[in-house]
Amino acid sequence: MRFWQRREQRLSDEIEEHLVLETAENVAAGMSPEDARAAALRKLGSVLRIKEDTRAVWGWTWIERLRQDLRYGARALARDPGFTFVAVVSLAVGVGVTCAMFSVADLALLRPLPVPRPDEVLTVGSSRTGDTPDILQASYPDYRDLRDRLRSFQALAGYAFTRVRFEKQPGAPPEVKTAMTVTGNFFRTLEVEPELGRGFLPEEDGVPGRNAVVVLSHSFWRQEFDADSSVLGRQLRINGIDFTVVGVAPEQFTSVDQWMHPAFYVPAMMSPRLNPDRGSAGAIGDLESRDARFLTLKGRLKPGVSVEQARAEVAAIGTALARSYPETNRHFTMSARTELETRTRLTPNIAVTVAMVLVLAAAILMAACANVAGLLTSRVPARAREMAVRLALGARRMRLVRQLITESALLAAAGGVLGVALGYASVAFLDRFTYVSDLPVMISLRMDERVLLVGLAAAVASVFLFGLVPAFRSARADLVTDLKNTSATRNVRRLWGRDILVIGQVAIALLLLTVASLMHLGFREQLRAGPGYRTDHVLTMEFDPSLVRYTSARTAQFYRDLRDRVRELPGVRSVTLASFLPLTQEFQINPIVPEGYQFPEGVDSARVLSSRVDEHYFDTLAVPIVEGRPFRATDDADAPRVAIVNQALAAQYWPGRSPVGHRFRLDGTGGPWVEIVGVAGNGKYLQLVGETPTGFLYLPYAQHLRSEMILMVHSAGDPAGLTAPIRDLVRRLDPEQPVFEVRTMEAFFQQGAVRSAQLLIQFIAAMGVMGMVLALSGLYGLVAYAVSARTREIGIRMAIGARQGQVLRMVLRRGLVLGASGVAIGVVLSAGMRQVLESAVPAGGAVTGYALVVPVVLAVTMLAALIPALRASRIDPAIVLRYE
Amino acid sequence: MLILRTLLFGPAHGHTIARAIERGSEDVLQVEHGSLYPALHRLVKQGLLSARDGLSENNRQARYYSLTAKGRRRLHEETSKWDRLTRAIGGILRPAAEEGKL
Repeated sequence: MRFWQRREQRLSDEIEEHLVLETAENVAAGMSPEDARAAALRKLGSVLRIKEDTRAVWGWTWIERLRQDLRYGARALARDPGFTFVAVVSLAVGVGVTCAMFSVADLALLRPLPVPRPDEVLTVGSSRTGDTPDILQASYPDYRDLRDRLRSFQALAGYAFTRVRFEKQPGAPPEVKTAMTVTGNFFRTLEVEPELGRGFLPEEDGVPGRNAVVVLSHSFWRQEFDADSSVLGRQLRINGIDFTVVGVAPEQFTSVDQWMHPAFYVPAMMSPRLNPDRGSAGAIGDLESRDARFLTLKGRLKPGVSVEQARAEVAAIGTALARSYPETNRHFTMSARTELETRTRLTPNIAVTVAMVLVLAAAILMAACANVAGLLTSRVPARAREMAVRLALGARRMRLVRQLITESALLAAAGGVLGVALGYASVAFLDRFTYVSDLPVMISLRMDERVLLVGLAAAVASVFLFGLVPAFRSARADLVTDLKNTSATRNVRRLWGRDILVIGQVAIALLLLTVASLMHLGFREQLRAGPGYRTDHVLTMEFDPSLVRYTSARTAQFYRDLRDRVRELPGVRSVTLASFLPLTQEFQINPIVPEGYQFPEGVDSARVLSSRVDEHYFDTLAVPIVEGRPFRATDDADAPRVAIVNQALAAQYWPGRSPVGHRFRLDGTGGPWVEIVGVAGNGKYLQLVGETPTGFLYLPYAQHLRSEMILMVHSAGDPAGLTAPIRDLVRRLDPEQPVFEVRTMEAFFQQGAVRSAQLLIQFIAAMGVMGMVLALSGLYGLVAYAVSARTREIGIRMAIGARQGQVLRMVLRRGLVLGASGVAIGVVLSAGMRQVLESAVPAGGAVTGYALVVPVVLAVTMLAALIPALRASRIDPAIVLRYE
Repeated sequence: MLILRTLLFGPAHGHTIARAIERGSEDVLQVEHGSLYPALHRLVKQGLLSARDGLSENNRQARYYSLTAKGRRRLHEETSKWDRLTRAIGGILRPAAEEGKL
């Protein structure tokens, strides 16, 4: 540094010395000292240029130039702190929002499978039209046929989730874990290398029940065994069977499912031994039945095979199998889907929401860039004089342009860094959203490299978007005009570009705010209507006696005892057992065939959500019975089969009349007749927001015994207070019986259903507000610029006799026109958005939504235009005109 | 090349060099003094000149440039090339070959 400074100094001295000598000679030749110096300077040429050229000779100039440009740029930005602040904040907001939203989209939909070359992995299986949820599944025999016949895939593996009882050592208190049963080639197909030990060998998945081996997940290994590498060869007791640990999965391999992460993996052949008596057909242990479709299949494409080819082949095999096995496969079609398709079909409203959110984030980013572009452009007149002077002094235009670009780059860097920080902060904030459950559901919102790249790309793109245009405009400045610095000569032509920018920003902001308010109204409506059952003062806990190998008789006895004893606990209002907890994802589906109902071609039954409940259910959960009667204790295994439907189901299959007394066949055309004895009120079963009235079927528990049941307790006081007494009670009944998923309905409902929807709405509203702020600053800047450009004109007008009010109106008109156009366009846009919105959130009271937002936006835009207009009206013509 | 020649007879500082070129060419070559300095520094960088600080005629700080050995060699090369060039052109312009004088 010092060397460079010295060199500069020496050059200055040298040049000065030259001038002195030349001046002396001129004086000697007879000139006056002033003329002599002037002549010497003229002869010398541009000192600036000399210095620059010499510096060019010295080399390393690009670093020095950069340093100088940076210093100069920083100074220029600091000179105008208001502008710098607004510009940096605008950019930060745009980039930050993009990063945060991309993280959300990544979590909800886009994150690829944590395996090598995830694009090659497709989901394969069968489905029927009209299935909810729309997933592909397969039975074990179908899987075998697919595996043997498919040419497009290099490997095909299958998996299924199952809940198991886990004991770290024999005699230790039992815990319930979620495990994955997988085919032997699971890890090889996904190309997942175990961190410790190995995956499964082909022969280990050969004979049912033979090889009790297990591969642990990384987090389970860390949690239970402290990442002890001597875990290989250890024995774990799962469902009473001793399994040997043969491997540990790597850390990045969290799961092949988007949400659920299993604790460990066991061969599919072990599932019959794990789940010996699961009751109904189609259970996970059933490897024989072709219609026991519980496996999810993932296959890796052969290199060079396209998704289309694979899809075609799978469909062909599906048709062939349907021909060979008509009873089981007739109504199913087989297909292959990419990961994105699978996720989109599973939760279409998530996909729609993600798309919406990304579009909105992009809109915010564009608004921010437009804002900064406008701000920079409005500085052009002010800096034109500065540029002109520097050009006159001999600076080169390219240098000026470079400096302006550097300045913009500084701005972009500051905004980008701040934006990324903002993104991190919002990701951390959103990550606090938790899911109340024992289930290993990982909602981990993180910013990974891809998001960082997106953010930085946004910042860099912004530089080139808004840095170059004003830069080139400045550099092309006409020296003469700018040096004269008269606003009269400056062309006050309509800046169409900026007009459109402002209109666009107002429109986008209005769109966002309208969307948020519509969603909020719709959501509030749904919340007020309630889910259709009680959510306060209810405690739930789940049991599964099959995990301790109870027979069905013993299970039934256990549940009877449990219910009776819990009912006697102090503070308990009522107790019930049910097989389905609303708003969880563990639902049951039963096909029914209503008597006399004509199904369309190719469909032979209706698949409905169902739950097995006892006679106290409707009372405990306050589900109203609108027709007929609830279940009674007499509806037991010896009595005629009965059922209760909800209003939606009744309206769909017994329209216009009461279904009470009518019958349907349960579980298909060959199933037993069931009589409907009552109609229950509708409710929200799968999700709180966005669910249209769905049919639901209640069956008496006593007639459909089941091992996995949920105990629901309606408490007088705080439901959580009953947890300990009930656990004690269970322990006294059977110390080995695991209790899991203990939660209060309130907490579950608030956290899961309500909070997530609220979060989304809040976020959109926040983006709307930010968009509005950006738009307002843009409008303000535009009107202020127009005022400053027309200051002289205003002064003249006022001098001639224009009144304040007239001046005000004149200036205000343009701003109001812009604001109003923006609002109009925004309204039109949001009308279009409503179509998209309908699927995510049924919008309530659209008129109210607009009535809330539009006046506010109009008022605020008027205010933004009013402030500089007021200042215009206060211009003192004497002061303004004196400057000329 | 002109700069190198001027310095053949001893070190000088920038102003002197400029004046010398003008005088030597009988004011035919008017050098913009400003372009002198970058050229000087370039020659220093190329190793053909060396620079040091000294005292000028009126006892002020000035920077003196002098030829290095490499500079001297380069001067000889450039001068020979120039002679050959002028002889060639001269041979065409004036068929009776003249001795190039420098």
